[in-house]
Amino acid sequence: MSAPNHDRTKRRDSDTATSVTAVISKISRGRAAKFTALAAAGALVAGCADNAPQDTFQPEGTNAQLIDDLARPVFYIAGLVGIIVMAVIAWVVFRYRDRGQPIPEQTHGKPALEIGLTILPALILIGVAIPSVGVIMDLNETDDTECVVNVTGQQWWWEFDYPVQDGCVDGGITEPIVTSGQMVIPADTNVLIRGTSRDVIHSFWIPALNGKRDMVPGRVHNLRMQANEPGIYAGQCAEFCGLSHANMRMEVAALTDDGFAAWVDNQLEDYTPPEEGSLAAEGEAAFVANCARCHQVDGLEDADGVPQVARPDEQVYSGAAPNLTNLMTRNTFAGATFDLLRDECRDAVWEAPSDEFTDRYLEGVTDDCFAEVDLREWLRDAPAMRPMYADPEELEPTDGLYRGMPYLALSEDQIDQLLAYLLERK
Amino acid sequence: MFTTGTKFLIGASVVSLLATLIYGIGQDGVLGTVGLASATVGLIFLTSVNAILRDSNVFLDDEAPVESTAAAQPAPGASVWPLVFALGTVVVAVGLITYQPVVVIGLIALVVAGGEWAVQAWSERASSSGEHNAEVRSRVSNPLEYPVGGAVAVGIIIYSFSRVMLWLSKTNTVIAFGALAAVVVVVAFALARRPKLNAGAVGGGMAIGVVALVAAGAVTGADGERDIPEFETTSIWQEEAILHPEEYAEGAAEGHHPEGLICESPEAFPEADENASETVAIKSSIYEVVLNDSGTLDYDVPGVVGTSTAVMSLPRSNPTNVIFRNDSDEERRLSLDVGTMTVEIEHGEEVEEVEARNQICTTLIEPGGAQLLTFRVDEPTFAFDGQPNPNGPDDAEGFWFFVPGVDSAVLEVYVP
Repeated sequence: MSAPNHDRTKRRDSDTATSVTAVISKISRGRAAKFTALAAAGALVAGCADNAPQDTFQPEGTNAQLIDDLARPVFYIAGLVGIIVMAVIAWVVFRYRDRGQPIPEQTHGKPALEIGLTILPALILIGVAIPSVGVIMDLNETDDTECVVNVTGQQWWWEFDYPVQDGCVDGGITEPIVTSGQMVIPADTNVLIRGTSRDVIHSFWIPALNGKRDMVPGRVHNLRMQANEPGIYAGQCAEFCGLSHANMRMEVAALTDDGFAAWVDNQLEDYTPPEEGSLAAEGEAAFVANCARCHQVDGLEDADGVPQVARPDEQVYSGAAPNLTNLMTRNTFAGATFDLLRDECRDAVWEAPSDEFTDRYLEGVTDDCFAEVDLREWLRDAPAMRPMYADPEELEPTDGLYRGMPYLALSEDQIDQLLAYLLERK
Repeated sequence: MFTTGTKFLIGASVVSLLATLIYGIGQDGVLGTVGLASATVGLIFLTSVNAILRDSNVFLDDEAPVESTAAAQPAPGASVWPLVFALGTVVVAVGLITYQPVVVIGLIALVVAGGEWAVQAWSERASSSGEHNAEVRSRVSNPLEYPVGGAVAVGIIIYSFSRVMLWLSKTNTVIAFGALAAVVVVVAFALARRPKLNAGAVGGGMAIGVVALVAAGAVTGADGERDIPEFETTSIWQEEAILHPEEYAEGAAEGHHPEGLICESPEAFPEADENASETVAIKSSIYEVVLNDSGTLDYDVPGVVGTSTAVMSLPRSNPTNVIFRNDSDEERRLSLDVGTMTVEIEHGEEVEEVEARNQICTTLIEPGGAQLLTFRVDEPTFAFDGQPNPNGPDDAEGFWFFVPGVDSAVLEVYVP
């Protein structure tokens, strides 16, 4: 049986000896080497990034540390296995390359080797599985949590509400708090995230603090979160959820206990109406006329003193819109897609040492730091700022309900008024 | 000049072209025109290929064409497909003047018969050997015939089973199909023990069984399903009381149901309570409200260890699942009162808007039982500031879980 094969091999060798195939092969090898070198250099350079807030290999909390402590040795083991396998393959390919030799005698089966190559990977997998299962079970523990935050995903932003509870540092939370975009937690405290979704499946992921957790409509998913130090930690939705999935971001701001208590107190302060006759007062009226149908501002009343209760369920597919009562205490908007702080102010918060972070974060958005450009553009034409199903002529599948904020046809004067009003919401 | 096949394809191309022109001019349908035009292009292509290859016939310069020409072939046997094709045509015609589904059945018959007919006709010209031609036909058709035929057969059997099952009562269905399963096992056992049974007899017996099953399915399907009662839920009774107060009062006076709202009544209502079939097992990842034997309500939320009697916070504008567990020693229901809602009551042509309590409740749950309550609250609690809730303790404001008949069983709910 080997003769024809051998003949063919020899014939091919003789054919190619003087053909252009050899030249092409040489060129291909050269290109492949260059491509490999370029890819390796790219990977190396990417690994050098020091400003990577969503780097999974920079744990900042005990839960993320658990994952990191598991992932690294598993990666080393898998990497070593991969290198050995690739090296063996390369050696076999090189050692037994076709040089016109006859095909050797074919054998079938080598039980000792086959059993050995089955048992060895099984042992490796068992070795990896034991700590993996332990970490999975450890991450699912929630009985040591001291603070509860309900997290609800919807296209394309996250809502965080804090139920009444004794937890969340000593004073507890006496009235519910609703916010969005940035979740504020006390540092060095185990926080229980109870997550769900209002529309499609989302995934909550703050890489520095814990792994991903899918948020499925109709179910409540638990996730324990803890930050070692005060600071701000970036994340984003990790489950494709529609047009603006890539823009569905969130941040966790971890504050000192005192700072968290101050934040809670501020969130529960009564509504302060704008000064009569001011631009902000005109903005309040504009807000009631144009925004209050969807966005709740706690304590807001119309000119006749009627409390304004937003009904986003009548306007928006998910049934919810961000609560703007304390918009300027967080420094992002529209699903944390856009900043409310100027670059230098943002850097001052994000790059603050942990012992200074709480104070800087609690300053919120000041007049000097307010980056109004994006918010102005958002008010002018939100669908132009990020993709959303906000075309009023294409709402048939959602029974006339919007996904995301629609175009409101606000005048420039109204936008000025609204900016002045919103700047006071803190 | 042209073979029969080429002529056929030329004719089909011309018809398709005409259809494209007529449809394109007469109808305002771009998609249809594009489809027909595509069909025309495809047919023209096939025509060209066929004209060149001449139906795979011998070329004119073939030196020994006689034995392989169609005229030299033995006459093909009878075929059932022209009959089915004709039948399909009639069915389509009948369907056009009766019911649309009949047209679909006719079209399916046309496609199947047309395809089979074409393949058979093609295979009969493959050679002068009838056996070889049959094998050629099988090679082309069987890969499609077997899976499709199997699926259709299984579909017919399943449909027949379902008709019989829906015709029999629930109990008789269990008995009948339990017995049928036993018969199948016994027959299979017998066949396994006696493998040399006459194949014809076994096949005949199975064929009779299948025919009997299909016949039973047809008969029971024609007779209709058994009377399946529609269980009335607590929501239906709640809605009935609010939207049709006069009829509801009449029903109560005649003793068909208690007078009050079902969600505020500790009494049993017909259907909704007595025939409740919605008791479910505890699910994971949901809220739980428990009526203790001490007559108080506790709640448990996912993730937090232990129960609480503090205010229960529930999400807004999101369906929420709450398991009610009755740990008391009497039948009880759990009700939720989330303020008022405006409903429109029709009085003839006039519509009256009235404020009604917005409530939802479980059925009466036996001691130790549990039931799932799913609801969605779109308005926040603070929207009802200043409005006492008659189902809260001493008409307190806000939203409340409560248990009719147990005054101490109240639990405040906050929706932000």
